[in-house]
Amino acid sequence: MSLTPTIGRRTALAGAAALAGTRIARAQTPAEVKLAMLVPLSGPWARSGLLEQMGARMAVDDINNAGGIKALGGAKVKLLEFDAGESAEKAKDAAQRMVAQEPDLSGGFGCWLSTFTLAATEVTERAELPWLTLSYSDLITNRGFKYVFQCSPTADAQAKELVPIIMDLAQSAGGKRPTKVAIVGDNSASSVSFYKAIHEIVVPEQKLTLVTDEVFTPPLADATTIVQKLRSGKPDFVLMQSTNAGDDRMLVDKFYEFGLTAQKMAMIGGGGHWCQPELTKLTTKEHLEGVIVGLANWPGKAMQDVNKRFIERTKEPWFGHDSLFGYTHVMTYVAAIEHAKSADRHKVMESLHTMDVTDGPARFFPDGRIKFDEKGRRVGAKLCIVQWRDGVPVPVFPTNVATHAAVWPKA
Amino acid sequence: MRNGTAAKFRKDLIILLVLSVAYLALSWSVTNSYYQLILTLVPIWAAFGVSWNILSGYGGQLSFGHASFFGIGGYAVTLALAYWNLTPWLGIPFGMIVGGVAAVIIGTPTFRLRGHYFALSMLAYPLAILYFLQYFGFQEMSLAMHREAPAAYLEFSDPRFYTIVAVGLLIMAVLVCMLVENSRFGLALLAVRQNELAAEAAGIDSKTWKMRALIVSGMIAAAAGGLYACVQLVVTPDSVFGMLVSAQPVVLTLFGGVASLWGPVIGAAFLVPLSKFLDAYAGNVLPGIQGVVYGAAVIIIILAAPDGLYWTLRDRFFKKPAVLPIPVASKPPPVVTSSVSAGTPLMKVAGLSKSFGGLRAVSNVSFEIAEGEILGIIGPNGAGKTTLFNLLNGVLPANEGSATLAGESMLGKKVHQVCRMGVGRTFQVVRSFPRLPLIDNVIVGAYGAGLSDQDAADAAIHALHRTGLADIAGVEAGSLTNKQLRLMELARALAGRPRLLLLDETLAGLGREECDDILDVLKRLREEGMTIGIIEHTMHAMLRIADRFVVLDHGAVLASGPPRTVVEDRTVIEAYLGKKWLAKQDA
Repeated sequence: MSLTPTIGRRTALAGAAALAGTRIARAQTPAEVKLAMLVPLSGPWARSGLLEQMGARMAVDDINNAGGIKALGGAKVKLLEFDAGESAEKAKDAAQRMVAQEPDLSGGFGCWLSTFTLAATEVTERAELPWLTLSYSDLITNRGFKYVFQCSPTADAQAKELVPIIMDLAQSAGGKRPTKVAIVGDNSASSVSFYKAIHEIVVPEQKLTLVTDEVFTPPLADATTIVQKLRSGKPDFVLMQSTNAGDDRMLVDKFYEFGLTAQKMAMIGGGGHWCQPELTKLTTKEHLEGVIVGLANWPGKAMQDVNKRFIERTKEPWFGHDSLFGYTHVMTYVAAIEHAKSADRHKVMESLHTMDVTDGPARFFPDGRIKFDEKGRRVGAKLCIVQWRDGVPVPVFPTNVATHAAVWPKA
Repeated sequence: MRNGTAAKFRKDLIILLVLSVAYLALSWSVTNSYYQLILTLVPIWAAFGVSWNILSGYGGQLSFGHASFFGIGGYAVTLALAYWNLTPWLGIPFGMIVGGVAAVIIGTPTFRLRGHYFALSMLAYPLAILYFLQYFGFQEMSLAMHREAPAAYLEFSDPRFYTIVAVGLLIMAVLVCMLVENSRFGLALLAVRQNELAAEAAGIDSKTWKMRALIVSGMIAAAAGGLYACVQLVVTPDSVFGMLVSAQPVVLTLFGGVASLWGPVIGAAFLVPLSKFLDAYAGNVLPGIQGVVYGAAVIIIILAAPDGLYWTLRDRFFKKPAVLPIPVASKPPPVVTSSVSAGTPLMKVAGLSKSFGGLRAVSNVSFEIAEGEILGIIGPNGAGKTTLFNLLNGVLPANEGSATLAGESMLGKKVHQVCRMGVGRTFQVVRSFPRLPLIDNVIVGAYGAGLSDQDAADAAIHALHRTGLADIAGVEAGSLTNKQLRLMELARALAGRPRLLLLDETLAGLGREECDDILDVLKRLREEGMTIGIIEHTMHAMLRIADRFVVLDHGAVLASGPPRTVVEDRTVIEAYLGKKWLAKQDA
């Protein structure tokens, strides 16, 4: 009896030593590098999450087929997928589970919707796990966090940037600078901060007159009154800040019914959902024709090859905003790990902070550069503008990604 | 605390301590931070369930909008931290105060409604607050991270400490619930839940007790919401004011057992981990399936155990036969001294009228009840007998006339106020509290009269002795016979030490022998000097007991006087049996 514990302890010690040994060896040349993806795979935002997942999976296959991560002796990338669900609480729970069950992650990305990202990053920051996100809310990088990196221009920056671009597009395509603007949109978080910037900064700076200002609570039940007000206000363009494809559809359908097409009044939608493939199924391409969309990224000329392979692989009609971000996040991590020559999360964080590249994954952004500032925001992040043409969104701005020229209604 | 509940209180306290220690020991051994999060959330949701149970379980005021208080707690903590840098250690008590104030603001208009209307109105508050917060730009609030002195801001890098705080919160919530359950507070709530009118007639000021329950409940819910915000680190209107948040305590408590101390705790202990594990394991394989499995599990349990797990298990495995000893009062019964000497009128009714639209249900009724007599109020169906009682004890307002008890007006008072003047009342349909022992059913009446705990217990025991129920005092009311229930209701009225008893068809639905037993009790009461007004159909029983009759027909007094004279009165015979019968008798 008395011997058993001694032997037990000795065996345990030997085992621990062996484990420690493998751990050190592993840290030097990991067989695989684990990246986590936490996006909504169920609930109302599942479609966006699934599109991001498709992009991320393709990036992982691209890296592994090309020989893995070279600085780590060809270590393969392994993508661990987690469902953020349909609420901030679920997203936060999933993040907790992720950091608890996968202690050797090198980094992660998600959660598409700003609300979810805000919740999940409270966990990842405490676990000191690097986190890339496409979410727009400026709150995400306003908390003094060190491990969170926001790749999109923030919501308030987008508001300030979008209208001047639109004004320039209008002038070069239509010959006349717009003077009257309308706002139609819901009262969700990102929309509200967007309106604030429009009201306080953009309208006075651009010498615009706000003729219609219609805010609704999603989901939109009926757009008839909105159309009536637009018809009487006669704006040169309308900014549409809905946040889901159902409301987008309701707006364009009702506009079309009352003869308000994008050929008569320019329509500017905001956000990735305005370019999701479902929209063509929910409504018709005639209703969408000419609608302009401002969003954080879109595959441009440089990505024709990825674009083609993505469509072949997924049977989706195009490679868009959400999938592109999934793809880019994985590629950004790989670049950071190659640079750090380590998959250790702290080194990956430092590598992301010091990174300043204009090649590799930087090519996937319209402004062509990846450098994060102290807050973790991507320096010089630019908006992309796409326009619906014959049932497909095509990039029209900035010029380095544009495949088409913007069309503006003739006055 | 009430008399006779000390043993139960002690037992529950021991269970609470043992469970808490065991739970903390278990959670201390868990190092996985996700499992620890589940262990933290279980007591938080359980505390929220306990808070709901106080108002809706014990008090029966179904609330579908308890997220109001949970969310107020969550946002109070978050906003106080964001704007005043107030640590959640103080933010949570601050949130509790805000929750209590909100309870008064919400309760004042909403308690004007009853039943389904109350439940649905409660639903509106969290949804309205939700839009306010969105309007004011509080869509997404995160609790700022404190790198210096995190523990001072209720932030722990070791998640086990969150579990300790959460268990502390639950212990407090359960203790509050135990105090409520074992005091007149809990008994008043149970009485209100079973039958608000009967409770009022027993002297319970239902509106005040309901408001107190809402305040206590709102404060506990706010504390749970405040701690939830600290654990979740981010609050959004949907995560604390959403429909699912309001549904959570309802589901947990229905699952575990409504109006039982451990119900919400059992519910949370099963359902919170179940939903989290389904999210984690089923949801990752087939996103969305977790909701289906969870819903199915809840439906199956509620079908198999409709009263909740606690009651079903207790009824099946732990149901004890009544072994309570026959209670003995600590003091002899107080001598009922009347300021009015025997034979003088105790209650005077003059010109009392009540109309419902064009129908005069009670028309210019005048009569007196003398001290120590039994007055039989008889009349055919629809004569206005019960309406008369309802006017006298404040259920309905009278249009005209006066009614005084020993010179003091009985009109224009609330039901419980009339009761406190010394008017006891029973109802046509017996209202009992089936899960409570007989004695607790009776004590309600004593509390209604405003007696202290000891006096109430004594009064209840005396009342049981006077009605011959003392030897079954410990039996659950649910297992009593109809006659015993009638006597129980009589005892409840007696426990309030009334000067006048108004009995509404106490003999209805009883057999001859059972009738005799009750009549014996009534006779004994008269011998002890009790004054009784009794509505009855059965003439032969009334002839044996009543000193005087008042006959009502079409709302008006048809005849009054000694029984023999009244039954031979031609108008009375006509009203009861018709003109034909009268003609036959004459012939």
